[in-house]
Amino acid sequence: MIRGAPAAGVVLLLLAAAPTARPQAAAAHGLPPLAVEPTDPLPPLPTQSARNANYTIEARLDTERHQIEGELTLTWRNDTGAPQDTFPFHLYWNAFRNNLSTSARGGGRRAALRETVGPLDERAYGYTHVQMVHFIDDQGEVDVSRTRRFVQPDDANPDDRTLMEVVSPRPVAPGQTARFRVWWTSRIPYGDRGRAGWVHDMNFIVQWFPKISGTQGGRFVAHQFHPQSEFFSDFGSYDVRLTLPKGHVVGATGQQTERVLNPDGTESLLFHEDDVHDFAWTAGRRFLERRGRFEDPGYPPVDIRLLLQPEHEHLGERYIEAARIALRSYGAWSAPYPYKQLTVVDPAWSSASGGMEYPTLITGGAGRFSPPILHSPENVTIHEAGHQFWYLLVANNEFEEAWLDEGFNRYHDRKASFLALGPRGWARRYFGLAGRNNSGWPVVAPGVRLTMVDDALPQLRRSGRSDVMARPTWQYLDTDSWNLNSYNKPALSLHTLEGLLGEATMNRILRTYARRYRFQHPTSRDFITVVNEVTGSDWQWFFDETWYGSGLLDYAVAVREEELRKPRGFVEGPDGAPASVPSPSASPDAGKGPYEVEVTVRRLGETRLPVEVQVEWSDGRVRRETWDGRDRWTRFRYREPVKVARVVVDPDRKLALDVNPANNSWTSENGIPRRAARKLSARFLLWLQNLLELHTVLG
Amino acid sequence: MIRALREGLRAAGRNWGLTLLLLGLNLGAAAALALPLAGLLEADLAQRDAAQNTLTGFDYGWWKEWSEQQSGFAKDFGPELFGVGFVFRNLELLLGGQLPAGLFVSKATSEAADVDPLILVLGAGYLVLQTFLAGGLLGVLRAPESGWTVRGLLHGSGFYFGRMFRLLLVVLAVDSLIFALNIPFAAWVDGRAREAVSENTAVVLVFGRHALLLFALLSVHLLAGYAKAIIVVEERSSALLALVSSLGFCLRRIGRTVGHYAAVAALALLLAAAWALLDVAWPVSGYRTQLVSLVLAQALVGGRIFLRLALMGGQVALYRRSA
Repeated sequence: MIRGAPAAGVVLLLLAAAPTARPQAAAAHGLPPLAVEPTDPLPPLPTQSARNANYTIEARLDTERHQIEGELTLTWRNDTGAPQDTFPFHLYWNAFRNNLSTSARGGGRRAALRETVGPLDERAYGYTHVQMVHFIDDQGEVDVSRTRRFVQPDDANPDDRTLMEVVSPRPVAPGQTARFRVWWTSRIPYGDRGRAGWVHDMNFIVQWFPKISGTQGGRFVAHQFHPQSEFFSDFGSYDVRLTLPKGHVVGATGQQTERVLNPDGTESLLFHEDDVHDFAWTAGRRFLERRGRFEDPGYPPVDIRLLLQPEHEHLGERYIEAARIALRSYGAWSAPYPYKQLTVVDPAWSSASGGMEYPTLITGGAGRFSPPILHSPENVTIHEAGHQFWYLLVANNEFEEAWLDEGFNRYHDRKASFLALGPRGWARRYFGLAGRNNSGWPVVAPGVRLTMVDDALPQLRRSGRSDVMARPTWQYLDTDSWNLNSYNKPALSLHTLEGLLGEATMNRILRTYARRYRFQHPTSRDFITVVNEVTGSDWQWFFDETWYGSGLLDYAVAVREEELRKPRGFVEGPDGAPASVPSPSASPDAGKGPYEVEVTVRRLGETRLPVEVQVEWSDGRVRRETWDGRDRWTRFRYREPVKVARVVVDPDRKLALDVNPANNSWTSENGIPRRAARKLSARFLLWLQNLLELHTVLG
Repeated sequence: MIRALREGLRAAGRNWGLTLLLLGLNLGAAAALALPLAGLLEADLAQRDAAQNTLTGFDYGWWKEWSEQQSGFAKDFGPELFGVGFVFRNLELLLGGQLPAGLFVSKATSEAADVDPLILVLGAGYLVLQTFLAGGLLGVLRAPESGWTVRGLLHGSGFYFGRMFRLLLVVLAVDSLIFALNIPFAAWVDGRAREAVSENTAVVLVFGRHALLLFALLSVHLLAGYAKAIIVVEERSSALLALVSSLGFCLRRIGRTVGHYAAVAALALLLAAAWALLDVAWPVSGYRTQLVSLVLAQALVGGRIFLRLALMGGQVALYRRSA
């Protein structure tokens, strides 16, 4: 009798997570062409980096004891322009050494040893222990281990061991090359908190070797590891030999050039890559391997290798397609990807390694239930693949100017996703595991689609006044402010800049910047210089209002409209003397105009940007005004035969930074708000009725 | 089981006025908050482009900003209620211990976002009202051919209210025990889920523990249903003993009682699925489409109330025949 009824539950679940359309191939969407306009005076694209920090690494992974033993030789050329005798090395895993490290004392998703994902146990701790350091130059090899000391330039926390210095017996002159040999052991932390670590059979080994600080502006950029800070280092060539038990699927930066089976049941894999500034790898027994290829006219082909969790097999093609979208769109918006391969890693359940970028290797991340309309894993894959362009090729200083990669990348990933996949849907997940973003059953809200900036504005409203954007990552007020100022605010600023300059000019700026600074370490100043150069005018004012300010941008409009007044009281009589005007009786022309209109545009926030105002009359005429936004308000007055139908501030939505676009418009009374309100409140009514009825289950 | 189902549906059908009455009460209670919400929304949408966007779709940016400004019950309005989202939201609130009146909320296990206290108070009041009416409704369903009058309904309700209220307290105590036991159990299961090798295992564990909690609550509801029937059919004065008798009865006839309950639950699911299909296919913009949508929504709620009455009627019939 109710044979079909059990299926109803399934129907309900399927409808709740109703996937709409599957993502289509990037080519079918509006991604930009690679071809650059012939008039573009673009700088030449460099073919190789300075290669001043080259590593040869031998490492052995003990999967039983979760340890790594390693030896590296660093060949370092002094490009700082000054003699150097003190050399800082990053030992990132010491963030997990104990609960006293600077990272462990901090908050947020990336804080080492945070307890929000579950109780801490002994597995959570890890470290990098440098056993010996030798300095080698043309005068010989010297053991400088005794000069080791830990330094804490950012917060003077004596317990932090994430930055180590060694002193050479003699300075390394500018242009001179020195070598360091370092022997170290590491305990790998459990990977449910930090990006690096092991979970079950999967080892995600990143920021794992003693690594010399990068240089910029004639100095070492040596900072501790903070919960929110990321990384910075110099380019070089990497030759890395990894020895680990047989049976693992290994993904790593660069290309595998050799594989040797050892008699002790291990195997050794050799990887090589040039012109990168880091090396990351992963090894797991459960990975499924899928391969794809990116080929598009004008782009060098790229092999895409996907290491996938078995339970995510159905997401494989979506991961690969997302990587293609990134390679195509970012290649067009900056400069093509130069490496031969890109490895995409789908992290294991329990692993916190998702959503991270390393040279030629990225991590995605998605839940078992991922309706295509939510663009997961597409968005994270596009974002992390996008970091190959912003940070890994144009290698800004992530410690001090995180917005130069995260913000640029967020700006581009939203554009790429929107153009290739369409607007994203919205869902709420139910019955998942606390602290796991992608767990639970996603219930997609029908008819709800987000614009490119919809998910960024709430954070800007919330934390926009907390900090000036342009400051080092560890100096933001809190995690929300860091997130806003590294990702969303710079991205919204770039959307706004594009709105003011036009897309073609913006693309030319970014292409110029990406080519000029490929394999370099640009600063914000360098970017602003490129903007000024390409536009031929000084845009410093824009960055002062946005990147170097902590104000909000919010324009609002109000309209006052009345029929042109007929004179009453006294007017000038024929003889020049005041003459009384009799009160008119009800005129048959009342309500037929003409009309006097005052449009008042107010600047509610502190940020001042020029804005357009569009006034639409009921007879279809349209007029555009401009305002520089310098004062707190401006007013436009009109005398027209018909009424105003609509006024919109920033009609083309150029000012993506406007925190409240809803107050940018004014429409004449038309009954629509009432209908719209009833439509929405009917949903609330239905929910509430069912909620009330549900109470009877408890009685 | 089939017979009980049929008899229950027939009893509820013969007394369809009861469904209308309960729907009216339900609608009135919900409208007490929905109408003010409409006013709030209209005031904010007035003379804005967002109104047009909302009419033809949904303006997420406007809603988000509006929502940030709200306090109280208006904050509980959001796109999670669209489509069949409200079903999941309600289930989340139930399993999160928010119902009734936030009695069973535990910080250790509740992932459900808080709901406004006013809504919880309204829900608690509704539960008491339904407890009051339970005796009267069962009195009508005990002899469905005889019809009903408002006076008779109120008389029956008043007559049994004391016992029904005591039964409610006992049931809430049992539910409280279930939620208390769920705290360590959920922590244990979640711990296993976090450590699972595969996400599939974690999904089974976490969904499974929620399903088990739901099963436990529904089991108590099943027992409470028969306890009410026993109170009315046998004029029992002890709510506690009625619940014990109900337990014995259900255990002895577990196939029939659980099967009947599951059948009604399945019909409710079918109803929700039908709503989901209609809702997706029916675009709402103008007054006419809104009116049709409102009628469909009331048909859904009315259908659900009808099934509740059918469940009660079926349980009375099953008990009288089998006891």
